[in-house]
Order: sequence, then structure tokens, then C-alpha cells
Amino acid sequence: MDTKTEVLDILNNLTGEDLSENMDSNLFEDGLLDSMASVQMLLSLQEKFGIDVPVSEFNRDEWDTPNKIVAKVESLENE
Amino acid sequence: MNNKRRLWQIFGPVICAVILLIVVFLIPWERTFSNKAIYEAANSQNTTVFKGVKMKQEAFKRNYVPFYGSSELSRFDPLHPSILAEKYHRNYRPFLLGGAGSQSLAQFVGMQGTSKQLRDKKAVVIISPQWFTKQGQNPQAFDLYYSPLQTAMFLLKANAKSKADRYAAQRIAAMPTVKNGIIKSCLKKVARGQKLSDWDRFLLEQRQRMLVNEDNFFSTFQLRNRVNKICQKAKLLPNTYSKSALRKVADEQAAMHTNSNNLGIDNTFYRTRLPKKVLKKLKGSQKHFDYVKSPEYADFQLLLTQFAKQHTNVLFIIPPINAKWAKYTGLSQKMYQESVAKIENQLTNQGFENIADLSKDGGKKYFMEDTIHLGWNGWLAVDDAVKPFMATPNRRCNYDLSNYYFSKKWQNKKNVKPLNLSNKEALKDK
Amino acid sequence: MNFNFINLQPYSNPQYFIYLLIALIPMIIGLYNGKRFKTYEAIFSLVFIFLIFDGDHWQQGINIILYLIYEFVITFAYLKYRTKKKSPNKTWVFYLAVILAILPLTAVKILTAMPVGTVPFVVGFLGLSYITFKNVQVIMETRDGAIKEIEPGTYARFLLFFPTISSGPIDRYRRFKKDFDKAPSREDYITDMQYAVRYLFQGFLYKFIIGWFFGTYCLPKIAKAALLVGNSVGGLKLSWWVLAYMYCYSMYLFFDFAGYSLFAVSISYFMGIHTPMNFNKPFISKNIKDFWNRWHMTLSFWFRDYIYMRFTFFAMKKKLFKSRIRLSQVSYFLLFLIMGFWHGLTWYYIVYGIFHATAICINDAWLRFKRKHKKQIPRNKFTEWFAIFLTFNVVCFSFLIFSGFLSQLWFGWK
Repeated sequence: MDTKTEVLDILNNLTGEDLSENMDSNLFEDGLLDSMASVQMLLSLQEKFGIDVPVSEFNRDEWDTPNKIVAKVESLENE
Repeated sequence: MNNKRRLWQIFGPVICAVILLIVVFLIPWERTFSNKAIYEAANSQNTTVFKGVKMKQEAFKRNYVPFYGSSELSRFDPLHPSILAEKYHRNYRPFLLGGAGSQSLAQFVGMQGTSKQLRDKKAVVIISPQWFTKQGQNPQAFDLYYSPLQTAMFLLKANAKSKADRYAAQRIAAMPTVKNGIIKSCLKKVARGQKLSDWDRFLLEQRQRMLVNEDNFFSTFQLRNRVNKICQKAKLLPNTYSKSALRKVADEQAAMHTNSNNLGIDNTFYRTRLPKKVLKKLKGSQKHFDYVKSPEYADFQLLLTQFAKQHTNVLFIIPPINAKWAKYTGLSQKMYQESVAKIENQLTNQGFENIADLSKDGGKKYFMEDTIHLGWNGWLAVDDAVKPFMATPNRRCNYDLSNYYFSKKWQNKKNVKPLNLSNKEALKDK
Repeated sequence: MNFNFINLQPYSNPQYFIYLLIALIPMIIGLYNGKRFKTYEAIFSLVFIFLIFDGDHWQQGINIILYLIYEFVITFAYLKYRTKKKSPNKTWVFYLAVILAILPLTAVKILTAMPVGTVPFVVGFLGLSYITFKNVQVIMETRDGAIKEIEPGTYARFLLFFPTISSGPIDRYRRFKKDFDKAPSREDYITDMQYAVRYLFQGFLYKFIIGWFFGTYCLPKIAKAALLVGNSVGGLKLSWWVLAYMYCYSMYLFFDFAGYSLFAVSISYFMGIHTPMNFNKPFISKNIKDFWNRWHMTLSFWFRDYIYMRFTFFAMKKKLFKSRIRLSQVSYFLLFLIMGFWHGLTWYYIVYGIFHATAICINDAWLRFKRKHKKQIPRNKFTEWFAIFLTFNVVCFSFLIFSGFLSQLWFGWK
């Protein structure tokens, strides 16, 4: 599985929705993600990809669409 | 778009607004008030009116007479002076000045700006011994009544050599309401006996100009309209003036409005202001009240100084305390009388001889509206003094003032001998 | 004029703005020409801070100096600990640093709740809690390794940034530093000034006109009537006046505080610093959660980022709770209780916290229910308006609790 599919999988678990058609929708504005869910997402990403994102570095503006999340994960994986 | 143009678009409107504001506040505006507006203001006891100047000046040029007092002025039963004057088409109308907490110092500031209009005219003062507490003017209440405009007027006329002006400046400056700025620094100068510099005067005049305009613009704003109330209550009065008929109305009204308690206190007041818990707390609570030693005596002297300057003919009314209430709270009638004697001495020794001393009438039936405020028959007793006073023609009154009354010695003096006011000849000899 | 006693509380009267804008002119000219006069800025800030804490407030002035020394020692000691090679990054050291950092604030909260006269000295100073927020935030980000170095000068300016010193908005160190280290381009700075002027005048409208109308003109009259009628009816002393008080107070609270925040943001923009906004039309919120994303934003985001998210992260990692729902509820109560205590140690602030925590839990339950029954629940213009209406009233009710008026009505004290 590639990063994108796995991220979408995690998001699907969290929001109960398949977001593959809405890669640029704003998850916070649509009420799909909240602080609680984003914490859960960070933990899942940590488990799946072994990337460590401290809460300080979690800036909502950089994590608010599926596309942005995928990009973030990819960049952190390559570090 | 180039940068200069953008800057102009941002700051242009701001600059225009500032210029407009300065123009509006600094050019002299004149305005007149309708009779209706003045009538409303006279009965509103509004602090904006109290702190303003223009409205009062206009009123005193007409047939209004200032009634300086405090919270009793708001007891609008049918026998209230304003209603009597309206009903019987008297040649004067009261202009009510004061409310809860407006003691001598606040009143003194409030009198600035109308000395021209009150020259050789009349005024009524309801002087309550309750003002004469250990603290004197309550600072929080002063905050409500403090008028920078009238303080500026006082300062521009103040004479740094006069004991009275220095004392007044020192007292006003000591109030926490008076914040820093040109007014405070000038007050301090006058208090120290220094003359104001030309620059001080210039700044004060500009400040005054702004405040005058503010007063002109906003003094009719947020008036409390009691005109309907006056008309309604006036209907309860007999159509032709008769003392006995008025007495009957007073007794009937009072009986109806005080039937919820045996202290002779208005039902609404009793219900809202004296619920059981409060009532219980107040029992015996005023045993140690003392109105004999107080800075208020010196503040009161400021009032007298102002009247003397204006040569105003003044009627002083000294109200009593509801005797049943005094007994309940433990307030000493002896102490009360002692303070009355002190006030009366201060007045008569300096030539203020129109005094209606009602201070011993607190036990008379339906004399008080509630705890410490005149009502029904009390208002009729006031009218017994006011009516003949107003019938006399205006004249120039001269007084003989003494700076002794500003002294700490007088403020703290005890055992002042009571006077027999009915013996006018004896007063003259003193 | 007598300069000995001039004492200026921020944004309190028109003269203040005149002094302030005159003092800003050199800085504005500098920034327009692409230069940030840091020394002038420092002197200017110190003078205005001095004017807050001089005269009758001198004891507060001493307190703020002692406080700053204390917090500097903690922050830099912790930074040193975290940046030394192979830092052990022990959790207890982090906790100790945070506890020490909030110690002064806690002490002040407790001391000010003591009966009048029992504390013989002046405690705290204007803006203590806001400086503490900034400080704790820096310690937490140091712990995460997000902050690796702190310039003492910039840090002092950040803590003491004078437009926001008294009541926020609460900025973040890294964001502040980014603005502070550069001068904006001329085009950008003109845009900044455009916003600054707009915010300034919007602030005048909010604070001095609308806020004055609700707070100074209407509120005392309504309060008087409510107390009078309340005392005569007895029982819970409720009347329609209490309802009127609720709406009037809510409007006052918003316009007064939003007006103040606009001033703070406006002056910051003149200084080329983009202090974040504090309010975003809170009264059109669709639900309580939405409300907290729009009301006193810098505070609620602070609580979100530094308490709520951290706590949930920690709890999930340690698997303290089986159910995610239970965890979110516990976290909300924790967050809002802390917020309540932070406002002050009186019953109504704490009830206010509990009220909001409860409201947000109910809101979450409803959102879950709605997601499950998407098909059956209608969604149209009317339901949207109804949601706004309901949220508005719940919020206003919470402000009635917050105002302390009920305490005055029922117990005679506030």
C-alpha cells in the first residue's frame, strides 16, 4: 500500500467517510476532524509510519485537507 | 495603485475626521431648550443635568428655583413640592438638584456656572444631618456627580488667596474621581495657594470649551421623564388650595401606602429595601452614628460661600428622621439635635436666617415617607415654609462670612448650644 | 502639567490614543522605509509600561520586575537542560518547570480570593495571567524540541509586548519572532496600516459606543430593576429583568472585550507585528464547539493546544481510557475546570466552566447521533438558524453565570 491509501484508511477510520474523492476538502471546517480526532490521527500515523509529530508542531493550517496530510507524512517519512 | 495614493486612502478619512472633531468641539455653539425639555430636566434628578450648566442657566433665567437636596427629592407623592407648584400654578417651579449621596461638596461643584443667573434670586436647600458623617462626602457618590466642566469653571474664577477657594480645591483634588490632567494639576496649584499661569488658563479654557459643547449637545439626552407622573399625582389634589383639604389627602394617601408595617414606611420601600434579613441586621445598628464631628461642616461652608457671592436669598430646611425608625436602629436623637444645633449656629452666625427646622417632627403622623425621607405631611410642612418664602420679592442678601468654619476646630467642635429660632431678635444680637 | 503622577491604563480614554499614536510615529516612518528601530521600540514600550505601573500602582511595578526575573531563571534553566547534549528529557523535570512557572499565578489567584484585609501587600499585576500563558507555552515547546534557542532580548519583548500586555491576545513566541526579526516590505506594511486603521476605528465603535451603551448606559439600570423586583418576589428572585440582564451583559462583554482586542491588534499592526485576532463573529456560531473557535480565540486555542491536545495525546498513548468518547469528556471537564479556576476562585466561574464542559459534551453526543442518523434528520435554512439561535442562548446563559450577577442577586455579594 502506498502512503496515500494508508492515510486515507486512517482518516476513514476516524471520520467514517471515504475521502478519496475529496482530497482538498477542509476537514476541520466540515466538522470531520476535531482536536480529539487529530490527536488520534497523530498517534495512528506514529504507529503506521513511525513518524514523530509533537503537538507543538501540529499547526492546523498545515493539516487541514487529505492532500496536505499526505504531503506532510511523505515529507516527514523522508527526513 | 501607487503607495502615496494608498496612504492617502488610509489616512485621509482619519485626518478629516480628526479635523471635523476639533472644529465641532472648539467652535462656540449656541442652543436653546424648549420649555418642555427644561420642565423634564427640572424634575428628572438626572446626573447629566446636575453636572451640566446650560440647562440650569436657561431654567434659572425663567421661573425655576433650585431645590438643592438629596434622595428625599425623589419622593414623588402628591404633596411633593414640584407637584404642588404645578397644581396651584405658583409663580415658581422647583428645579430639583441632587440625589442619593450628593452632599455639600458635590453640590458646591454643581453650583458653579450658574452664579450669574442666581444673583439676588432665591434658592431652597434641604440640608440633611445625615450628610455630616465622619467621612463627609462619600467618594463613590462624588464620582456620580463630579463635573469636570463645573470644576474648570471654578478654577478659572478661583482666587488663590481666598481660604474658601483653596479649601475647595484641596477637597475636590482629594476625591479619587478626579484623575490626572490639567484640572487636577490646577486644583493642586490653587490648593497650595499658587496662581495659575497663563498657559494653565489657556489649557483650562480649551478644556472648558470642549466640555461646554459636550454639555450643549448631550444635556437633553437620557432624561427621566416624570411629567406624566406629576400630572397623575396632581389629579389627587383638591382643585383649590386649602391646607385642611391637602392634609386630608396626605393622611389618606399615607395610610394607604404604609399599611404593610408599623414603622410608617412606604410599602414598596419596605418590601424591596428592607426584606427581613436586612431589617434584622439594621436593628440597633446605628447606635454609634455621629453627625457632630465631620468635615462636612467645612464643605457646607463652601455652599454658604457660594450663596454669599451670589447674594442669593436661601431657605434652609432641616428634615427629621422617622422617629420609629430611629428608635429601631438606635440612632440617638440627642446626637441628631446636637448636629442640628451646630448647623443652625453656622447658618445664623453668618446671617442665614431663613431656616425651617423640622428636625423634631419625625414622630408626627405620616410626616416621613420611609426611613429618613420626607413625605406627605412632611412635604406639607415644607410647603408651609416655601410658600411664604416664594411670595416675598427677590432682593439682594448680604452675608457676613467667617473662615473659622473651615477650621478643624469647628469641624470637630462638640456641645454647640441649641438656638431658639423663633426669637429673631435674639438671633440678631448674636 | 504634572508628570510625576501621570498613570495611563491601556486604551482607557481618548488621550491615551493621542499619546500612543504620537509615540508611534517614528516607528511607523521607520517601518515604512523598511527599517525596524528596535532600540526606539524598546524605549517606547518601556515608557508605556512604566506609565501603567507608576504612581499608585508602583507595587505592581515591583511585582512585575520580580516576576520577570523569576520566570527568566526557570525558562532558561529548562532550555539549558533541554539543549545540552543527550538531554535526558525527563518528564518530572518538565512538570517541575511548568509548576514553577505557574506558581506565581496560582498564588495570586488564591491570595486574591482571601477575605479583604487578610493579605497585607499588593499581589500580582495587570496582565499576570497573560504573561504566564506565554511563558508556559514556551516551556512546553521547549520540551517538544520545537524551540531550540531563545534570544533573551526577543523573549523579553515577547513577554512584555506592550499592546497586548494587559489582556492579550495571546501570541506565540515563534510567530512573534518571525515578525519581529524582519521589517515588512513597503507594500505589506501599507496593507498592515490599512488594517490597523480599520481595526482601530472598529475598536472605537465597539468599545466606546456599543460597549458603552450596553455596559454603562443600560446595564446598571437593568441590574437595579432586577435586584429590586427580585427582592420583592423572593424565592429564586427571578424576573424578566434577569433575562434582560443576561442579554445586555453578553452584548457588553463581547463589544467591550472585542473592542479592546481590536485596539491591541491595531497597535501591533502599526508596529509591524501580526498579533492574532481574538474574535470571529462568535454570535453566529452553529454549536458550542464552533463558538469556542470564534470566542476569545487566542485563549481557547491556547487551552486546546497546550492542555486539551496534550492531555488526550498522553492519555491515549498510555491507554488510560477504553472509550474515546469517555476520554474526550474527561478532557473537556479538565480543560473547562482549569479555565474556570483561572478566571478566579469563586463559585460562578467554576460553574461557568462546568456548564461549558457539559454543553460541549452534549453537543458531541448530538453530533455523533446526527452522523448516525444522517438520513432522518432534516437539514435546511431553518435548522441552521435554529442551531445559531440555540447556541446563542446557551452562550448568553453561560455569561449570566459568568457575570456573577446571580451571586449578587442571591447572596448579595460578587
